[in-house]
Amino acid sequence: MSWPWTHWLGPVRTATGGVLRHKVQAVAIGLVVLVSTASATLGLALLAASNTPFQHAFGAQDGAHVTVTVNTARASAADLAATRHLGGVTAAAGPFAESVVQTEYGGQPFGQMALAGRASAGGPVDDVVLNAGHWPDGPGQVVLDGSPGGGGPGLGSTLTVTGVPGAPKLIVVGFGNSVTSTADGWVTPGEITRLLAPGVPPSAQMLYRFTHAASYGEVRADVAEVSRALPPGAVTGAASWLAAELQATSNGAIMEPFVVAFALIGLAMAVLIVGNVVSGAVVAGYQRIGVLKSIGLTPAQVVLAYLSRVGWPALAGCLAGVVAGNVLAIPVLHNSAGAYGVGSQQVPWWASVVAPAGMFALVLLAGFGPALRAGRLSAAEAIAAGRAPRAGRGYAAHRLAARLRLPRPAGLGLAAPFARPARTAVTLAAIAFGATAVIFAFGLNSSLSRAAASQTHSATVPVRVEQSGPGGGPGQMPSAAQDAAVAAALRAQPGTLHEVAVYGNGVKVPGIAGTVNAWAFGGDAAWTGYGIIAGHWYDAPGEVDVNTAFLDQSGLAVGDTATVYTGTGPHAQVTVRVAGEVFDPDSQARMFGSTQTLPGIGTPANLQLYDVALRPGVSTAAYVQAVNGALGGRSPWQATSQHDGGQFYSIASGLVGLLAIMVAVAAGLGVLNTVLMTTRDRVHDLGVFKALGMRPGQVLTMVVCSIAVPAVVGAAIAAPAAVALNTATVHAMAGTAHTGIPAGFTQVFPPSRLALLSLAAVAIAVAGALLPASWAARARPAVALHAE
Amino acid sequence: MQQGPVIRLDGVTKTYQAGAPPALADLSLDVAAGEVAAVMGPSGSGKSTLLNLIAGLDRPTAGTITVAGRRIDNLSESGLARFRARHVGIIFQFFNLLDDLTVQDNVLLPAQLAGASRRTARARARELLEQMGIERHRDDYPARLSGGQRQRVAIARALVNSPDLLLADEPTGALDTATGLAIGRLLQQLNAGGQTLVLVTHDPALAERYAARTVRLLDGRLATAGVPA
Repeated sequence: MSWPWTHWLGPVRTATGGVLRHKVQAVAIGLVVLVSTASATLGLALLAASNTPFQHAFGAQDGAHVTVTVNTARASAADLAATRHLGGVTAAAGPFAESVVQTEYGGQPFGQMALAGRASAGGPVDDVVLNAGHWPDGPGQVVLDGSPGGGGPGLGSTLTVTGVPGAPKLIVVGFGNSVTSTADGWVTPGEITRLLAPGVPPSAQMLYRFTHAASYGEVRADVAEVSRALPPGAVTGAASWLAAELQATSNGAIMEPFVVAFALIGLAMAVLIVGNVVSGAVVAGYQRIGVLKSIGLTPAQVVLAYLSRVGWPALAGCLAGVVAGNVLAIPVLHNSAGAYGVGSQQVPWWASVVAPAGMFALVLLAGFGPALRAGRLSAAEAIAAGRAPRAGRGYAAHRLAARLRLPRPAGLGLAAPFARPARTAVTLAAIAFGATAVIFAFGLNSSLSRAAASQTHSATVPVRVEQSGPGGGPGQMPSAAQDAAVAAALRAQPGTLHEVAVYGNGVKVPGIAGTVNAWAFGGDAAWTGYGIIAGHWYDAPGEVDVNTAFLDQSGLAVGDTATVYTGTGPHAQVTVRVAGEVFDPDSQARMFGSTQTLPGIGTPANLQLYDVALRPGVSTAAYVQAVNGALGGRSPWQATSQHDGGQFYSIASGLVGLLAIMVAVAAGLGVLNTVLMTTRDRVHDLGVFKALGMRPGQVLTMVVCSIAVPAVVGAAIAAPAAVALNTATVHAMAGTAHTGIPAGFTQVFPPSRLALLSLAAVAIAVAGALLPASWAARARPAVALHAE
Repeated sequence: MQQGPVIRLDGVTKTYQAGAPPALADLSLDVAAGEVAAVMGPSGSGKSTLLNLIAGLDRPTAGTITVAGRRIDNLSESGLARFRARHVGIIFQFFNLLDDLTVQDNVLLPAQLAGASRRTARARARELLEQMGIERHRDDYPARLSGGQRQRVAIARALVNSPDLLLADEPTGALDTATGLAIGRLLQQLNAGGQTLVLVTHDPALAERYAARTVRLLDGRLATAGVPA
């Protein structure tokens, strides 16, 4: 039994002619749809990742609303177990034994770390995501919070725990992420006992989730509830998830503008390329349509035949593309998760549905117009329309190119794009998008590097001396003699170019609700290299510089005066003039001046650190070693080298690079497909050229030159577009970080560099054109002459 | 004016698909310099294959081909292209002019591809366009010309590099009778000037009128080769 529509569809199937008989076209459509679907999947995943990443990660990892630190000498295991059933507690994990230790890595201090003993990464609360390696399964192993790389320890590195008998060593066996950073590292539960310093009371952490923990007030009430349930003095500390959210959201918000920019570039390019390739494929089939109509196919059957002809390879491309997109998303989202400060991010299920479905709909839409037109054309018109570009197009360009003193194949190639202006426009758009992404990536990377260098002062202040030695720490103020020894040691070093003592304390400024962090320099500090957003670095008594948050919160502007209350004493109140706004991204207001201007700050009790600049050619490591040697092992002061940028900047730079490469590859494939289509359209002319003596090298030149005009125009569009995009993105990132930016952060494109980067357009175009060009060069003239 | 052979085919076989009958089978043939040879035969007899092999547009499966004193069956693609540019001019049934180039640019193209100087190429193109009687159309596009004029442009293009050998594939096949006769006479004049010519044609009258010798092919093999009666 056969249904009536099978009679109707039979000719359609025949007319479609079998996808396998049009291998090149089917592969071209499938490949473009694959790449486009993959980039669309990735783009949507990135957009989703940029949308409240902390909240998503917090939900996925069952993040701890509160991490309570308990003195286990005062609370028994039974006491702690009982807190699991307190009203409002929805889930709890622990107790996990904890120890706060001092560590060294590579012979240098690595800082203080809170290590928790956990048998596994998972659990009802704080499901730690393992980014690399494995969970500790024996003594002497540690999993660090974060990701490997960035100049720190990697897998297999050894940390030494100092201040503990035997100076135990811990091998880094993995990297994990706790969304609320419940610890800096995790070891086996049994490990903690040998990591406890003598005399330090044993402690443990309990992790809780509560019914109500949306505000600081609710969290405080939750902590109070737990404290009441335990013996007095048992709770020694409590960390709220809201603090972690604030930190993560601040980083994530900075990321969002460029992630969104890349995602939108990728999506726009995917739409353009797919539309171009599919409509081109349908138009290329017009001649066949004409033949089919002449043997009796109805317009509706023609439309269906051609939609199915592009539909099958497109469907295969969509399915392969969504798989490829998910695979590609793994490293990209890994980087993105690192930058957002969340453990891991996955491609949302809806992205894996929307991207292929949307792309397939786009293919059908792109094919529907030309197919409908084909259906309406008479048979004769369809045959004529399918043969060649519209007569007359590009003739003037050929005439002009013939007059140029260029090798003839180059001239023929240069004029070729004008024969198909619509296709050329789409090719141009693909090149421009790809080149914009590459130039933008380089620019953003430079801008981020400048921001990182400016924030850490790593270039201008390579060495810093801080109170972190054995005698340092809270409540252990160095003696005047020890302070003087630092200044003397620094001045005695021949490698010292500049050194300045830096004093810091909180001050009050009318109009600003909280405390202002005031920093006073005990000498010339213009060389410390704060990025100037407006005004200038203070150079007269009574002048200060402030960060953007200060101006935002106080409502003052550069040039205004402010009253500063530094506490008690004869210099408790001073009036200062705001000389400039400096780059110091923080939501807290900050002020920088001389000890002369801020005498209440410049007291020995407020001495925080020394900033040091080195003479050219001086080794930072050798200098640090020499200073520490001069200070001696018992000094509370310790010199350390400043590292370039933080983890955020390195991850963000990696992500920018990865996204730019992906967009450039997609652009190259777009070029490849349009050049392939054009070459196939003109295969007969190619045969004529070859018959007239055009050599393979000349064919290669001609085809590559055919993309030269779009490449040059694409570069001309991409260069200013990338500069504008970089400026807008950096300003948007700065806005989300509550800071202005020095003009120098966006002035990262000197003309020579921009010109060089613009060659990305040429590189994308040539890379895309080379494959079809070599195919054209290899084509046998006899075959090309007789090809339809 | 008979000299040594411009074309020598020795045991040439061309097979397109393994297992399929050869398009040409063990064909040996000489064409002397200054000779007009007509290649005739029914569809599928191997005429176009023979023309492609002589022109260096395709390669034989077996055998050797020597044209203008040079073996071409073992040349590289670049070598073949250089050979075509310098030694062979091809005239196609459907002209194969490039629609987006002017008449003059079409004629100039082979000279430019062969690396001729701009001035020399232009002078030669102008001379040929005058010789073909289409000099006034030099800035026109092929689409604006009649069939006969287009074939004259194609002949001028084929001659621009002064080839040793002119190959014509059904040169009058797309033309009306009068125009075909005119083109035939033009080819005859060229031969009278010493141009070696191989004509592939279905038209016995054309072969009879202009060719000194007719080569008949049947199923890829030489049926007869002789002077027309």
